[in-house]
Amino acid sequence: MSSVVSYVGLSLVLFAIGAVGVCIRRNAIVVFMCIEMMLNAVNLAFVAFSKLQGNLDGQVAVFFVMVIAAAESAIGLAIIIALFRNNVSVETTDAAQLKW
Amino acid sequence: MTFMGFVLSAVAVAAALGVVFNRNPLYSAFCLIVNLLAMAGLYSVLNAHFLAVTQVVVYAGAIMVLVLFVLMLLNLKAESGRKLGIFRTLIAAIIAGSVVTTVYPSVSANFEQLSIHALQENAWRSEGTVKAVGEEIYGRYIRQFELSSLVLLIGIVGAVMLSKRKHSTIGPREGGLGGTKQ
Repeated sequence: MSSVVSYVGLSLVLFAIGAVGVCIRRNAIVVFMCIEMMLNAVNLAFVAFSKLQGNLDGQVAVFFVMVIAAAESAIGLAIIIALFRNNVSVETTDAAQLKW
Repeated sequence: MTFMGFVLSAVAVAAALGVVFNRNPLYSAFCLIVNLLAMAGLYSVLNAHFLAVTQVVVYAGAIMVLVLFVLMLLNLKAESGRKLGIFRTLIAAIIAGSVVTTVYPSVSANFEQLSIHALQENAWRSEGTVKAVGEEIYGRYIRQFELSSLVLLIGIVGAVMLSKRKHSTIGPREGGLGGTKQ
């Protein structure tokens, strides 16, 4: 068992746990956190392959993923607050209307 | 995988399970912080030192503070124990199973033999110090780096626009869905 393959396996396990969380949780903030976890799992695969290939392109990709994640978290939490303001819960099952 | 890598992966997986299966969102957030710190340690084990520090500062620092701030602001209680539909559980199981069982065999088949040799040969070239990663970002990836500043600007403007209150409505609007539930 080589090192890089086991890191990719760990990344897959974390991604699968995050995907399960997105499916089975109803709290929008927890769903958001699970999405962050999936992004992190992909980052780990990038870093492992960067080490395997022997260049830094994967690590630069991780840097850009972090930039996107920061912007996404700002907008996502603003959406969650707007959802809570209109519809006094953040459960995804309660947000069943497209327009108020 | 070294001993340190093994310990950190165990912590990461345990914390990830904690995020998904805790009823209280606050405990989920704390588990996620543990998970992110363990991932930072794994980056460090994989020689990506710059990314390890960035992970701690950006994810475990900035993003999780924002998430905890929103959690405290909304003052949420633990999720109600309503039954999950069998359909959602089935979808979750299918996604998790298919991700692991389809991707892992192909990766291990392709990289099993090659990697040990390549690792020893290439280890010094993938040392992710601040200098090396900075030279890549400001060299070959300068255009993408500039564009990422635009992405952040759009994020700021979007967040302000979404959370701006219309002056006529103060507090939760009446007749919203939440008022009619239960």
